[in-house]
Amino acid sequence: MNDVRSLKILVADDTDSDRLILETIVRKEGHNVFAAKNGLEAIAIFKQERPDIVLLDALMPELDGFDAARQIKHLAGDELVPIIFLTSLQDTESLVHCLDAGGDDFLSKPYNRVILKAKIKSFNRMRDLHNTMIRQRDELSQHHERLLQEQTVAKQVFDNVAHSGCLNASNVRYFLSSLAVFNGDVVVAGVRPNGNMMVLLGDFTGHGLPAAIGAMPLASTFYGMVHKGFSMSDVLREINKKLKSILPIGLFCCATMIDFNFRRKRIKVWNGGLPAGMIYHKNGNITPMRSSHLPLGVLPDKNFRDDAKFYDLDVGDRVFMWSDGIHEARNSEGEMFGEERLLQLFAENESCESAFDEILLGVKNFIGSGEQDDDLSMIEICMESPENLHHPGYSFNQQLARVEWEMRFEVKPTSFKSFDPLPFLLNILTEEPDLRGFSGSLYTILAELYSNALEHGVLGLSGDLKKTPEGFTEYYTLREKLLNEITTGFVHIYFAYSSSVEGGCLTLRIEDSGKGFDYASRQGKELQITGYSGRGIGIVEKLCKTVRYYDAGNKVEVVFAWVNDD
Amino acid sequence: MAITSTVSADGTQVTIYIQGRFDFSSHQEFRNAYEKLAKTPSRYRVDLQGTSYLDSSALGMLLLLRDHAGGERADIEIVNCSQDVKKILLISNFEQLFSIQ
Amino acid sequence: MNLTRHIDYDALNALKEIMEDDFGFLIETFIEDSNDRVQKLCGLASAPDTDAIRRIAHSFKGSCSNLGAVRLAVLCFDLEQNALNQKFESLPEDIADIEQEFLIIKQMMLDFLD
Repeated sequence: MNDVRSLKILVADDTDSDRLILETIVRKEGHNVFAAKNGLEAIAIFKQERPDIVLLDALMPELDGFDAARQIKHLAGDELVPIIFLTSLQDTESLVHCLDAGGDDFLSKPYNRVILKAKIKSFNRMRDLHNTMIRQRDELSQHHERLLQEQTVAKQVFDNVAHSGCLNASNVRYFLSSLAVFNGDVVVAGVRPNGNMMVLLGDFTGHGLPAAIGAMPLASTFYGMVHKGFSMSDVLREINKKLKSILPIGLFCCATMIDFNFRRKRIKVWNGGLPAGMIYHKNGNITPMRSSHLPLGVLPDKNFRDDAKFYDLDVGDRVFMWSDGIHEARNSEGEMFGEERLLQLFAENESCESAFDEILLGVKNFIGSGEQDDDLSMIEICMESPENLHHPGYSFNQQLARVEWEMRFEVKPTSFKSFDPLPFLLNILTEEPDLRGFSGSLYTILAELYSNALEHGVLGLSGDLKKTPEGFTEYYTLREKLLNEITTGFVHIYFAYSSSVEGGCLTLRIEDSGKGFDYASRQGKELQITGYSGRGIGIVEKLCKTVRYYDAGNKVEVVFAWVNDD
Repeated sequence: MAITSTVSADGTQVTIYIQGRFDFSSHQEFRNAYEKLAKTPSRYRVDLQGTSYLDSSALGMLLLLRDHAGGERADIEIVNCSQDVKKILLISNFEQLFSIQ
Repeated sequence: MNLTRHIDYDALNALKEIMEDDFGFLIETFIEDSNDRVQKLCGLASAPDTDAIRRIAHSFKGSCSNLGAVRLAVLCFDLEQNALNQKFESLPEDIADIEQEFLIIKQMMLDFLD
């Protein structure tokens, strides 16, 4: 049974009769035989024919088997060419010599056909295995190359997104590990229209591409919102929502976000899952900013907490933020750097400006040589007066932050029944960054005023109906009926918005085509109404700064105001 | 919006879930949830986890429920309120009338 | 060691089966080469070149074993060992023995061919 495909086999033996026998045996096994009388011939034939297996006599004239073996192995390079020494040398030293010279096996004289056949089969199997391994090694190498290239491209794309930030402002210093994005680290910083600087340092779980994937939506959301003037809570909430929806369970982003108010010398801090950042005061004291929230991307929107802590600072105080790269840096004994050593570095620091460098140096020395010493991200921001802040594209101009607009809207009879203007109007209002945080209150105010205008004003329904449970039902049945029949009337809605760096107000006027009501007599009543209705205006009065009725009572103006506490 | 309700195995507690906006458009369904029961429950729970918004007519409906459940003696819990919903209830001092969580 | 058997005919038969038509050529080649070796050894009997004797004896031993000339193979092995250990007292006799044994098996093989 010929279970090995036909191989090329080189036979080298200086004894004619031996060579003849071997040639014949090998040929009978179905292989192509090439014969050499000595070492030199063997090498020449090897170069020409590149046989699969080589049978070499150990002792030959000209060039003996050992030297020939060495050269053949060298010529074979990456390929596995088994060399079987033909020998009746018995002593250990000689056999070791054979193996040292590159021999893979021995075949002793007298030649045994069965044994030779078995050895050929065995070595052929080894060759096949070896070839598979080499091929896979090359494939792997190619894959790896491709992966590195893709990573380079991804990094470039990411850098483009991240570069619209203000990390090069004069009071900012930062250090990012060279493959930061693939370690999951991201730093974004932007200036709000009111002059505040918002900075976020994030650390995504995982490594490689999965960790990097989250960085882009985070960065684009951040920059999109910061420049429009959205507050830190809004930005955090939005980022959390986005990450929660795109990241699989178990992946999230630990982050610290800080809003710097240089006018008021105050910072607002939110830390979800990162090691405590530190405020390094001019006088040497340290205030830690500890994690008090879950990381971004874990909680659904309604459970997300965007509350933050305020800290008052002096000019010259420095705020440090870092990912866990510092705390988790290990030395050769496997010890972690930890918070204590960090505090120690601050304690030993003599001049504030050099703290940043001393920390980097301290960690580097701790890790020691040979290890990856740039796998950390750190950022230092110094509290400054606004006039002293410089960075390209930033100009401190409070006037720019003032916004004013007006809007008029009318609901016509044809729309009363089917069109609910409230979601539409609320949508427009919450495009204003300053108003977004008040969407609940604004909706309540709008809904109460609009339903009053529509039901009491245009449709002429009386709230008295709702005094009994049956009356309650009757009221809404009647409402439905009247809505279907109405052909005249209007509800006019008018908004005026004005905001500045300090705060703003939204004026809302609603006028309906109804008869109005006796508002004078209603004025001043507390919310102690016990009936099933009538509470609406009371709620509106609580939410708004002022509520005034005009004309016959079919015109109402409310002013909703707020102050920016960042 | 959608109103669903569950009754406890022994029939002593009914839980009403309000999904979406809680306003006048749901009043009939809301009433059905507590009026048409085989056995009169002794405890009521109104679960507002899915409630995005609550207007003054909804306040009226809660009061209707309270009256139906025995007025002063009624045992009604309003639970899982979002910040906005809670604000409206508290502004209206409803914590004096209901147990609010 | 005193082996009475000169040729292992089982081995020789097996070889014949493998070689088929080339068997005769093989025997001739072996006899020619062996003749050469024996002559060389005789020439070294009086002026011992240790290395050369060792190599020839070793080689000869190998080819003999392949052809089933078992006694001759043993004689060559002994010669190889002596040369290795620099024992040359019986050198001329050992070589003479080898020559003698070769002539015997040469005839036996030629007879076998017919």
